[in-house]
Amino acid sequence: MTSITFIQLPKFSEKITDQEHKVTLIFNNVLLISGEYMHIPDAFMPITQGAIYWIIALIFIGLALRWAKDEMSEDKIPLVAVLAAGVFAIQAFNLPVSMGTSGHLVGGALVAIVLGSPYAAVFVLTLVLIVQGVVFGDGGITTMGANIINMGVIGGFVGFYSYQGINRMIGNIYISSGIAAWLACLIPAIACAFEMTIAGTFPLVPGLVAMSTYHAIIGIIEAIITAVVVYLIHTSRPDLMTTDTKETVIS
Amino acid sequence: MIEHLFDIERDAGRDSWIHSLDARVKIIVSFAVIIAVVSFPYSTAVYTLGLTTGIFFLVLWGLSGLSPLVYIKRFLATLPFGLFIIFFQIFFENPWYETFTPLVTLPFGINIYRESVEFASILGVKFVICISFIILLSSTTTMQALLNGGRRLGLPSVMALSLGMMIRYLFVFAGMYGRVNSSLAARNFNAFDRSLPYRYRLETLGYAVGMFFIRSYEQGERTYISMLCRGYGKDSYEHLPKKSLIKSEWVFLLLSLVFIVGNTVGVYLM
Repeated sequence: MTSITFIQLPKFSEKITDQEHKVTLIFNNVLLISGEYMHIPDAFMPITQGAIYWIIALIFIGLALRWAKDEMSEDKIPLVAVLAAGVFAIQAFNLPVSMGTSGHLVGGALVAIVLGSPYAAVFVLTLVLIVQGVVFGDGGITTMGANIINMGVIGGFVGFYSYQGINRMIGNIYISSGIAAWLACLIPAIACAFEMTIAGTFPLVPGLVAMSTYHAIIGIIEAIITAVVVYLIHTSRPDLMTTDTKETVIS
Repeated sequence: MIEHLFDIERDAGRDSWIHSLDARVKIIVSFAVIIAVVSFPYSTAVYTLGLTTGIFFLVLWGLSGLSPLVYIKRFLATLPFGLFIIFFQIFFENPWYETFTPLVTLPFGINIYRESVEFASILGVKFVICISFIILLSSTTTMQALLNGGRRLGLPSVMALSLGMMIRYLFVFAGMYGRVNSSLAARNFNAFDRSLPYRYRLETLGYAVGMFFIRSYEQGERTYISMLCRGYGKDSYEHLPKKSLIKSEWVFLLLSLVFIVGNTVGVYLM
């Protein structure tokens, strides 16, 4: 093997080979059977790339903290922190998808929709991912920035703004939140596939096909459960959320 | 994952020399190993690095007095996603190599390449070492001690406060999660029981998740109000007494860092 430095960026072949096509199918099925999610572990990304994702993530964490200070007053932070513990527990629910496949809720879109800001998702998911990475080893330390970007930033922003856009078009908060949650599950998975390719640890086409197919399927459960939860909250505690997300829910 | 919370904390609360070390020392040593291993080039020299760092880990695990079963159980629980990515490497023409030699040809004409197996093993060694040190850290340090260690190492107070609140209520919700599951099971509800209509299963789970969300929000409100009653405000500061490392902790920290840096650089230059 030639000597490799971590500064070098590898480049996978742009064409998918016949073998890659077959292996992608197998990989896809294994993912579906296992019900695994996209926490990138340590070592699957060169340290320099991990550092870049960390810097980007820190910028968004800073913005999330500023949101907490400006929009919901800094002293209400404990409320969101306790909610983060609840979201952590919610992620433990094993949800049936189909054909024996299971999935679990990420909750980024749900938090962003209910609390009325994508930064709420960044804040909550950052806390959740720190505990998952440091205590449970689910997701790496050097790759935590990438995981925060995928699930917190991309998931939160996609979930929140797609909810707003779709809700304006169709005027149904349950369907809108369902579609938004599905997108917030799918898009971060696609981002994850790109990151793994840039890192040189998984080829783009098989990664994209496997990750997007799997997350498109488990995203359905995320969509249904998010819609049911939004319905429940809207019915039992309508003060927690507004149908128009222009207003901040906690004020 | 949350089901293992109490087991992890029980192990972390045991008594040994490693357990009694200041959390700052364990955080710095664990993170230093992870950064060193991740920074190391993807080359076969990783095997040597993995061996020496693995022996270092075994010594520390032995000193912690924890059973190997604890490690194995936790390792298996964290394995899946990483393992899949590592395993499937053997079928792909990895960009780190120029030529590929088929090692085995499977049915449907699927080849396993020698170079790809090599890359998978390099990735595997790095992954195992990183996971092992995270398991060591969290199995020998309570969450509160980790948080205090983080604060003493400069974690911003707002993040420390948030994580502290989250950790405290994680145990409350872990207990609640267990009770919700028990009550669902007591009513013969199984989310994977195909004899039940799919819609009914999803509705039940959706309401359980929604109930959890509302209860955690309401718990947050109650906690926040009770904190206000005790004089909490945005300028509040949770006092954490200063604590210096004792001589043996300094010695262990310095020797560990010298070993980690020396070992990594030494193996790289070999």
